[in-house]
Amino acid sequence: MTRDAWIGVVFLAFAVIYWIAADGIRISPLDGPVTAAGLPKSLAYALGGLAVLLILRSLALKRMMAGTQARPAAAAAAEEAGPSDSHAHLRALGMLALGVGYLLVVPFLGYILSIVGLLLAASLYIGARFGVKTAAIAGLGGVFFYLLFVQFLHIPLPPGLWPDLLRSLQG
Amino acid sequence: MEGLSYAWQALTTTPAVFAAMGGVVWGILGGALPGISPSITMALLLPFTYTMDPTTAIVMLASTYVGAEYGGSIPAILIRTPGTNAAAATAIDGYEMQKQGRGGEALGISLVSGVIGGLIGLFFLVVLTKPLAQVALLFTPPAYFALGILGLSVIASLSSGSLIKGLMAGVIGLMIATVGTDPISGVGRFTYGSPELLGGIPFILVMVGVFAVSELLVQAGMPDWVKGGEAQTRIKLPSFAMLKRLRKPQLIGSAIGLFEGCMPGAGGSIAAFMSYNEARRWSKHPEEFGKGSPEAIAAPETANNTVAGTALVPMLSFGIPGSNSTAILLGGLLIHGLQPGPLLFEKHPDVIYGLFGGLFVANTSLFFIGMLILTPAIWLVNRPKPYLMAAIYALIFSGIYSIDHSLFDLYLVLIAGAIGYVMRLFGFPFLPLVLGLVLGYLIEANYRRSLLLTGGDHIVFIQDPVALGLLITALVFVAGSAWRDIRSAGRKAAADKTDGSAPA
Repeated sequence: MTRDAWIGVVFLAFAVIYWIAADGIRISPLDGPVTAAGLPKSLAYALGGLAVLLILRSLALKRMMAGTQARPAAAAAAEEAGPSDSHAHLRALGMLALGVGYLLVVPFLGYILSIVGLLLAASLYIGARFGVKTAAIAGLGGVFFYLLFVQFLHIPLPPGLWPDLLRSLQG
Repeated sequence: MEGLSYAWQALTTTPAVFAAMGGVVWGILGGALPGISPSITMALLLPFTYTMDPTTAIVMLASTYVGAEYGGSIPAILIRTPGTNAAAATAIDGYEMQKQGRGGEALGISLVSGVIGGLIGLFFLVVLTKPLAQVALLFTPPAYFALGILGLSVIASLSSGSLIKGLMAGVIGLMIATVGTDPISGVGRFTYGSPELLGGIPFILVMVGVFAVSELLVQAGMPDWVKGGEAQTRIKLPSFAMLKRLRKPQLIGSAIGLFEGCMPGAGGSIAAFMSYNEARRWSKHPEEFGKGSPEAIAAPETANNTVAGTALVPMLSFGIPGSNSTAILLGGLLIHGLQPGPLLFEKHPDVIYGLFGGLFVANTSLFFIGMLILTPAIWLVNRPKPYLMAAIYALIFSGIYSIDHSLFDLYLVLIAGAIGYVMRLFGFPFLPLVLGLVLGYLIEANYRRSLLLTGGDHIVFIQDPVALGLLITALVFVAGSAWRDIRSAGRKAAADKTDGSAPA
């Protein structure tokens, strides 16, 4: 099966799951001729239909191409991800993980420390050299963002556990 | 005259003038960074416009679009790396001129042509928007529903990639729009007890995630772009003789920009390349194209800045954005509770004419700002990519948090970013998804309103002549695109059979 055919299968499965979830939407006496579940169910049918079309299109294209000369390696490579693609995907996943990491620590460390950490970690991850320069840029960047958002725009960014900690130390 | 009065009032009583200039600066800097498109530059600014008054917010976003269309030409000329897709045509001859030591001249032609194109685009925006919006006064709920369907169909059929994937992206956008509280009955849909989801998924989170975060994820796996070195280039404005020579390509660029800008799904890059080709066809010196022709820069730069004005026409008149950037602008309007269309002219003329006034300031100040900001823009492009990308990541998190002070929103942005990355990987276009999300309420509310009027009878969509016409047009677009896809696949297979070469 081709890549697009597999994508079609995944979307078909998603459409079925979505329809089941839509079927669970409560019917209200305030609903008109079309209930709250009406559009979601229609969208599930539409997505399912399009997924089937994608599968059929992909298989038809494959069949058309199969009539040409013996399929050379280049055609296979076009469908399959090579090592460099896998590397790029892993890099992207790592970048995403950095973001999640920031979100996990910010309630504890507070905004300024977390953002400095994010700037430092992201810079190093994308290729900056570990050293005083990178650390300084991350630190200055954190201060800049703090001044911009908290002081200038008056946005109450997460303080972390520090206020409670200071209160408990004082008390 | 009333419009002028509103524009003058907006410019003198709100910070719109500063917003226009600030937007141009931000747009040029964002557009100059390879990989950061005008829509990403605008998406990054969107959270900050929450606390602004509507006129200032919209002026700033639109001015960012203006600035970014010029900003993309800076790295295109200096290091042959277009900062925006629309500047790809400029890179062809712009970089040749840079190699010949005429980089400053190329930048000057780009700047002047951009200003001229922007002012022409603004003129047509002012002239066309209100009459077209009056047409929308004829629209009933069935017609609005059909308009939403038409908008989605046109975008899906004109977006890059296959029609089926475009339509699927649109459906996914509509599905995301159904999350939250049902607008008619108040029933919760797909919230699963989460109070954060009761209000739905704000489209700004999806826009920023899909455009900006997914780009960061892609950039994480890509090598650094070529740097231009620290050698300074100074802008050299074209002489009167040169301006005379550039009249024809600028006229061609503005005509094509006018047409392409009003067409949904077309956009700056198509206009730029079409202008390049037509300018070469009509040039007295076609042999110079590809080797550093000034006309080859003037035409595309005029075109893409004309588009920056005329692309707002369908968005303001009907509420149907035709490009990623105008989708962001629509988001900016909706954030402030403003629905584009004829009622916007009736209820909020100050915003519309304030926008026109702000765009005039943006396009005229582009001339001066473009000259002043060249050095900082070059400096920025030469900064190490890791620091720039890390700063953008931090900006995204900080900006999105400033909307509702919710960490949940940041998780949603990351999820949207992951979805955007997967969409890029498998060839799904973004615009239909964003459009589905933004138009979801319009489509569903008018669909159900129409059926309330007729007790559930769908005949209303056929009896209403405007709705019928729009639905037939949608069908024609989809059918035409499907036919084009099939023919293209058939021709490709036939060509492969004839010469026995490998299928791509």
